[in-house]
Amino acid sequence: MKPSLAIRISIHALLLAACAITLYPVAWVVKTAVTPRQSFSPSPNPWPSTWSLSNFRDVLGTHQGATWLFGRQLLNSLLVSASVTIVGVVLACGAAYALSRFRFIGRDFSLRGFLLSQMFPGVVTAIPLYILLDHLQLLNSLAGLVLVYSTTAIPFCVFMLKGYFDSLPHELEEAVLLDGGTHFDAFFRVILPLSRPALAVTALFSFLTAWNEFILAATFMSRPASYTLPVAMQNYVGDFSTEWGHFAAGAVLVSLPVMLLFFALEKHLIGGLTEGAVKG
Amino acid sequence: MTLGLVLHLVVWHAYHGAEESAFEHATLAFETANPGVSVELVAVPFGAYSYKLEAAIPHGNGPDLFVGKSNGLQEWIDRGLIDAIDAEVDPSQFVSGTLPPLIHHQRLYGVPLAFKSVALFYRRDRITKPPRTTDELVAIAEREHAADRCGLAYEAASLSYHAAWLHGFGGRILDDNNQPALDSAEAARSIEFVRMLANRHLIAEEATGQLVTDLFNRGECAMAISGPWFLSDIEADVRFGVASLPIVSSTGKPAAPLSEIEALMLPARSKTHAAALNFALFLSGKDAARLRALEGRQTVATAATWQLDEIKNDPVLTAFYDQFKLAVPMSQSRALQASWEPGQRALRRVLRGDVDAKRALAGAQAEIVATLRPAPPPAAKLPFAISLFALGLALLWWRQRAQPEVAFRSQPVAYVYLAPAAVAMGVLVFVPFVVGAAMSLFDYDGVHATFVGWGNFGNILRARDTSLFSPLSFYFALLVTALWTVANVALHVAIGVALALLLRSPLLRLRGVYRALLIVPWAVPNYITALIWKGLFHKQFGAINALLKVCHLEPISWFAHFWTAFAANLATNVWLGFPFMMVVTLGALSRIPRELEEAAALDGASAWMRLRHIVLPLIRPALLPAVLIGAVWTFNMFNVVFLVSGGEPDGSTDILVSQAYRWAFQRGHQYGYAAAYAVLIFLLLVAQTAFGRRMSQKQAT
Amino acid sequence: MPLRLCESARSMATVTLDGVGKDHGKAQILGSLSFEIADGELLVLVGPSGCGKSTLLRCIAGLDELSRGRILVDGRDVTQAAPRDRDLAMVFQNYALYPHLTVRENLAFGLKMRKMPAAEIAQRVNDVALLLGLETLLERTPQKLSGGQCQRVAIGRALVRTPKAFLFDEPLSNLDAALRTQMRVELKRLHQRLGATMIYVTHDQVEAMTLADRIAVLRQGVLQQLGTPTELYERPNNLFVARFLGTPEINVVDGKELMQKQFMATLPDRAVKVGIRPESIHFVADGKPARVDLLEQLGWESLVHLDCDGVRLVARVSANAPTVGATVGFKIDDRALHYFDRDEKRL
Repeated sequence: MKPSLAIRISIHALLLAACAITLYPVAWVVKTAVTPRQSFSPSPNPWPSTWSLSNFRDVLGTHQGATWLFGRQLLNSLLVSASVTIVGVVLACGAAYALSRFRFIGRDFSLRGFLLSQMFPGVVTAIPLYILLDHLQLLNSLAGLVLVYSTTAIPFCVFMLKGYFDSLPHELEEAVLLDGGTHFDAFFRVILPLSRPALAVTALFSFLTAWNEFILAATFMSRPASYTLPVAMQNYVGDFSTEWGHFAAGAVLVSLPVMLLFFALEKHLIGGLTEGAVKG
Repeated sequence: MTLGLVLHLVVWHAYHGAEESAFEHATLAFETANPGVSVELVAVPFGAYSYKLEAAIPHGNGPDLFVGKSNGLQEWIDRGLIDAIDAEVDPSQFVSGTLPPLIHHQRLYGVPLAFKSVALFYRRDRITKPPRTTDELVAIAEREHAADRCGLAYEAASLSYHAAWLHGFGGRILDDNNQPALDSAEAARSIEFVRMLANRHLIAEEATGQLVTDLFNRGECAMAISGPWFLSDIEADVRFGVASLPIVSSTGKPAAPLSEIEALMLPARSKTHAAALNFALFLSGKDAARLRALEGRQTVATAATWQLDEIKNDPVLTAFYDQFKLAVPMSQSRALQASWEPGQRALRRVLRGDVDAKRALAGAQAEIVATLRPAPPPAAKLPFAISLFALGLALLWWRQRAQPEVAFRSQPVAYVYLAPAAVAMGVLVFVPFVVGAAMSLFDYDGVHATFVGWGNFGNILRARDTSLFSPLSFYFALLVTALWTVANVALHVAIGVALALLLRSPLLRLRGVYRALLIVPWAVPNYITALIWKGLFHKQFGAINALLKVCHLEPISWFAHFWTAFAANLATNVWLGFPFMMVVTLGALSRIPRELEEAAALDGASAWMRLRHIVLPLIRPALLPAVLIGAVWTFNMFNVVFLVSGGEPDGSTDILVSQAYRWAFQRGHQYGYAAAYAVLIFLLLVAQTAFGRRMSQKQAT
Repeated sequence: MPLRLCESARSMATVTLDGVGKDHGKAQILGSLSFEIADGELLVLVGPSGCGKSTLLRCIAGLDELSRGRILVDGRDVTQAAPRDRDLAMVFQNYALYPHLTVRENLAFGLKMRKMPAAEIAQRVNDVALLLGLETLLERTPQKLSGGQCQRVAIGRALVRTPKAFLFDEPLSNLDAALRTQMRVELKRLHQRLGATMIYVTHDQVEAMTLADRIAVLRQGVLQQLGTPTELYERPNNLFVARFLGTPEINVVDGKELMQKQFMATLPDRAVKVGIRPESIHFVADGKPARVDLLEQLGWESLVHLDCDGVRLVARVSANAPTVGATVGFKIDDRALHYFDRDEKRL
């Protein structure tokens, strides 16, 4: 059934309006970033009146001695985010599989535990976390950040993956068991390859968690060369004044990779979040 | 210091821009002069600065030296975060008045680097001679206003700026015993004065630091009140001057701004005090100070620097120097810290015209007293243990009753899969959780802990010190949080589902493009989003009011009223959150067999009926978990509320989690009290989720 | 070539159930089942849905655990053994093909798991593909196969491993009627060729009757009868079995009513219900009169629904079908009557 022309036009009109509202604030950031000033423009027009890359040059060109700080911090961010993606997804996969497929004592408790962990406000846990990392000798190390971010990302990943695993037929694993495989064979050779869409979304989410965080990173890390990018961006926000141009340029640089990842994984995103049924 | 070994010093600061580079250059000079020492400067984001110091120093992870401010001194000393300076410091070396704010009980706690106070900036193209009295200031502002410009821009609602007028009218924030003294007639008169300026449109409305910069740069205001940090914000082509604030005509007293001293301080437990002090003295020495003054435009505390010709002839720096002579040093006491938030609230209320100055100030005074209230009395451990035990038993009994154990065979291989995540979560989430929750039983400021049992909970739940309907009360915040959560989740779902339905048809052209563009908000870090939206909602310069004007509607003062401020928060968070629901819905929709709807269409169901009776019920199961977790996230959505409305007006839009944050970090570090808030938030969320589950199960059957 | 497969499949393999039972919570799913599936036998487990037949199959496979009893394969106790160590193959109702693997990889998966040399794997996969007519489909993924093809691959995946016994869990129920009949024949032929031990679960009595060497009828986890299709059809142990097997269903009439309405002169002691197979009702001119209520023409035979004095019977006749509304005379073949007591047991 193809809808009538009038309906199609109104659908497009509504979607265009939604996109305009969605992109307006983003355009604003871009405008601030390409305007060679450090203040916020008060005009409602999101189109920049001047174009300049000076803010980007400043942000990209930070140095500490001979170290190219931006490059170092970009590397840190990439390292941390990539590790969080791997650690988070690997741990979440296992947990989600256990919760989806097995009956065991403590299953209900664990399932709830993951949900409950989302409920305690971070305002209060940050200081105990600091002390803990200190004891574990993980302060000021990227590994410590990776662990903390992973545990932040895991609960959501577990829920998403568990939902996906739930939708895969049990017979697939039973077939593996009868074919002479173990539960591990079933998990690694059948379930995981089949869950690629869900894994992609989970990975994206873990990456995002690590990529955007700055409060904990600023607290745990004590060397500019070990900062992540968002921390470096926050340095442009001061007590009394903020270098808006630099901050916006930083925001664009920080958001860009994530945006590209989102676009690349957009198709999987829809399938991975909900769709689990596989024909076969 | 061992010869041949390089001593490494770590110095923390929150400088950026020119100040930072001047600081770096001065440090380089020190390293050249002292080959045995290397100094590492660490720029810590301002937002995380004090938090980081407070976390690091007690555990021996602090720097060797850090740049701190005099006004937090008493608290830092009380909490054992900094050490006194034992070496002899020659007072004549420093500008007079820069040492006393750093002295506590006859001991010096910092080597002063710079003094900071606000002064009057004026554009030379508008004003040839800066006003010497408030009458002159008003006259100039009237003249500017007649020319459709604004006379003066400054953050009028901020108590730290207003303090200058307060002092000029003879009032003060704290009395000689460091007790709050805001409810004076003089203070009321000072606020009336500012209100008069506002009513006559002589000062910029709802000015933020950002706006002041912008107005001044564009010449839309002739005068601004700001500090030395403003210098780097002024654009190169603007000709401006700096002068002392005027004398208040009615009292004849100068409007004396608050001043604070930036100093290098020695963290407790650091073992490099001698070397660190050496560096501090070098930085405060003549040469380094000259560099900081000229390159970093700092108003340095070094006396000798002000004798140099290049400094003496600098009209801007000397203007600040002159202003500092008149300024009132900020108190070291924590009562001052506790005054900012209530003071700002009172100023806003008066400027909005909600109440008269006297009543607003009385309210502020009461609030300051309330935040400074004594801790709950220490509690005995035995009765507490008994009550905890009883609570545990009751919980156990209830769980037992609720869930009869179903016998099943356990599959131990599950633990292999679960263990890594469980261990990681156990250590890094569960342990801090337990520690954090345990904090709620103490009166804890980060260093000293007194066991108070249920005392904090008692104070919160009895809404002690505030009325039940005051925005500071737990119940008020709870109501706002509930409203906030329900409104957000409802809109997320409504908009997400609506857009997903529009995007549903596979025949739709540009479907992929729309989908990709509509998930953009998900990819932008939410602290950035929040700051942008705050700008969009600005009364005078926000895009939203500009749009209203285009539609010939009255501009709205968004953060002046509860409902509009709430709506601004809501709009921001809805923008942030709808893509998630949209994507979940798209996934759920793609799984509905077309035949079902076609069958309904053949049965004569209208599009609306098909949606209502076929589509929505079928996507419900997929949406439900997303709604549950979305509700949890929204309930604790700190960034949006804190950064967009910031609790405006009067803290009424604060939700529970931002209240908890304020108790922990803005109201004198009452961690125990904040932890009790956190525990209550946690319990509420557990109840909310359990309730949501039950409701959905009930509907499903 | 396929012969090699057949020969290797011919290892002695009996499956023995010894007091097998399973509970779920307090509910009993399987009672206490004891019987043996002989080497090379095709045993069909049949019963209505929920009777426990699939659970029993899964227990044999090792996918579900027993609550009591033992399972022996080839005389070896495998009750505690993992599925992989039982050397059984199973064909699932929904095929359970690995969606991300090609047909070839699907077939080879089990062999790879058992670390068979690649050359032998390739050989075997080809053999099986030839046997089942899958040669042209080997590089496709399951998404691109029809239901019948999926079914064939699923069977192939079991065959290729030459297990001790094959387990089929309603393998044909997802196919359409025509395909089902065709596959049924193929399966039967396959069994004849391989002579392998097979346990086949179905709820379809036609499948059971046509395929089985022996049939086990289950009801609520309890074995009702075990025997050859003919035995079960001709001497059902109880009313349930009698009713379950045979289309159209056996006519069951109250004994007393039959006596009252003079269908027969005598009734054995304790007989409460009488079962009359539709084919044991014959039309004779001087028989008891009955009105023809409804007629189902099947071409080579007809099902005639009779109403005789309020007693409704269905007769199967091969020729001379009467017209609806006509009155016909009929007679019941005495030797073909089944008598059941109060507990519905055969007398």
